[in-house]
Amino acid sequence: MKNSLALTVCRVALLWAAAICVLFPVVWIALASLKNPEQLNEPFLLSFSPTLDAWRNVLDSGILEAAGRSAIVALTTVGISIVVGSMGAYAIARFRAGGTLTRFGMLAAQVLPPAVLVFPFLTMAYALRLNDTLVPVIFAHLSFVLPVVTWFLIGFFEAVPRSLEEQAQVDGFTRFAAFRLVVLPQVFPGMGAAAIFGFTLSWNDLFYGLILAPGKAAILPVAIAGFNTFRGVQIGSMSAAILIAVVPVVIASFFIQRRLVQGISGGAVKF
Amino acid sequence: MATVRFERLTKSYGSIPVVTDLDLELPDGSFTVLVGPSGCGKSTSLRMLAGLESVTSGTIRIGDRDVTNLQPRERDIAMVFQNYALYPHLSVRENIAFPLRAVKVPRAEALAKADAVAESLGLSAMAGRKPKDLSGGQQQRVAIGRAIIREPKVFLFDEPLSNLDAKLRVETRTELLQIQRRLGITCLYVTHDQEEAMTLSDRMVVMRDGRAAQVGTPLEVYDTPVDTFVASFVGSPKMNLVDGELTDESLTMASGFVLSLSQGVSRGHVTLGVRPDDLVPTAADDGRATVKLVELLGPRAIVTVDAGGTELTCVVETARMSGITEGARVSLSARPGAVHVFDAETGRRVVGDQMKKGNELHP
Repeated sequence: MKNSLALTVCRVALLWAAAICVLFPVVWIALASLKNPEQLNEPFLLSFSPTLDAWRNVLDSGILEAAGRSAIVALTTVGISIVVGSMGAYAIARFRAGGTLTRFGMLAAQVLPPAVLVFPFLTMAYALRLNDTLVPVIFAHLSFVLPVVTWFLIGFFEAVPRSLEEQAQVDGFTRFAAFRLVVLPQVFPGMGAAAIFGFTLSWNDLFYGLILAPGKAAILPVAIAGFNTFRGVQIGSMSAAILIAVVPVVIASFFIQRRLVQGISGGAVKF
Repeated sequence: MATVRFERLTKSYGSIPVVTDLDLELPDGSFTVLVGPSGCGKSTSLRMLAGLESVTSGTIRIGDRDVTNLQPRERDIAMVFQNYALYPHLSVRENIAFPLRAVKVPRAEALAKADAVAESLGLSAMAGRKPKDLSGGQQQRVAIGRAIIREPKVFLFDEPLSNLDAKLRVETRTELLQIQRRLGITCLYVTHDQEEAMTLSDRMVVMRDGRAAQVGTPLEVYDTPVDTFVASFVGSPKMNLVDGELTDESLTMASGFVLSLSQGVSRGHVTLGVRPDDLVPTAADDGRATVKLVELLGPRAIVTVDAGGTELTCVVETARMSGITEGARVSLSARPGAVHVFDAETGRRVVGDQMKKGNELHP
């Protein structure tokens, strides 16, 4: 009893320590966003009269439009990834399509440095007069979101018993109807998690956005980076913008944490 | 409602044959059971009829229609899987109604019909629940309900009772039989349990290594097994099979043990089969066999006897158990006319079905 109490105390202490480590930068940024430029020079100043100047400045700078563009990019990327990825993951899970090489080679895109891909993307976008629009950004994001979403879904599809589809076929449905009416509903939770996971990946990407759409079509991370001006970093405004970018992802992650582990490990454990 | 025919049905995976030249006819409205040890091709045969497994060669007909290469949905069949395969995201009512959705029955009508089926199976109280909230027996009934709602031409059952506990299995078996008799739909049922096969079937097909070893009514198969495989597979406890020299009065086993018979058949070297019910131990001080084990079943007991190093099984009525206790000396005799004689080399039955009737044997 005494032993387990000590264990509990240790565990709670450890968790608090971890939470503080993770939350410290966020709190620090939140404080910075409420300081005036002079106070920003004193990073450890905890007691000050807060000002919303930085927030006003950020909102006037069109950060919400950038967030909207980021949302368009992320939602489109995720939408395509879910539709294509679920069919791909099903084929890999059921029919061993492409063999082990496809299954594991799919993640090779993660190993490839983005710098290798971005130049061809830019050249193509320029040739098509699509540079500084959201289209090349979406395509670039698909290059890393689609494989991850597919990988993520394989484990969920493998968990669906084959007899369920066979039953649906015997019950009078085509293979595709069996997939749509019986298999897909079983993997909806996994798809939800995959969608949020993919959304986060796309939402957080700076590199492709910065190169393919640096100007009027800038997405949120690019807009945030824009506060690093030739007159120096506008720490207050940047802090406010960062909070705007982080909050939706944190909230989304909270809802999928359990499925996240299942998805990431599910694709790997069984093969 | 249709007759099903398998004509020289063959299935192989690469060079490995699973089912070989299976010829079988399931008469309209019959209940046929495919039974055999695991890996004998019984499930594969069923799945070929369902259209879930491709056919290597041969033909499958349902009624006049050649369905060999048709999709499962085009065959007008219903199937109950071993794990029931209920749709987890649908309620009991929706599960039962699901096959009607494929034939575009309006939703309200389909659900009304599903409710009627649920009621006939005693599932009304749980019509709105999800499968995971049901017991195994209830899930089983939902699967049966889903199979009967569309009144297909053929019912297929792939070991549907093997996930139930013993008591429920017997109850469900009875219900299943009643439903089949009421609807009169041709049934093909796969099981590895010979007792289930005996009780359910009009016609029983014992399979071995992808071939039908014997086809017949359960009684025919039980009384006149065609070979030692069928003889030992059907019946519980298993038939005693002993090699020895058969003369008019007795069988002399290799160990020198003599089993007294009153058959009047002399065949030389044979494999002799005696069902445990037909082997009678009698307590005798000069008996050459020893009782090793007595397992009481209530009205009967299974008595395991050591006969010169060979273990033989007898089933004895409890009333006739006097003197038969573990360690007791007994003599053994087979009931007149109740032995099965098989060729010692091939294992094939050497004499006809007159054995059981106690007639004189004319090999």
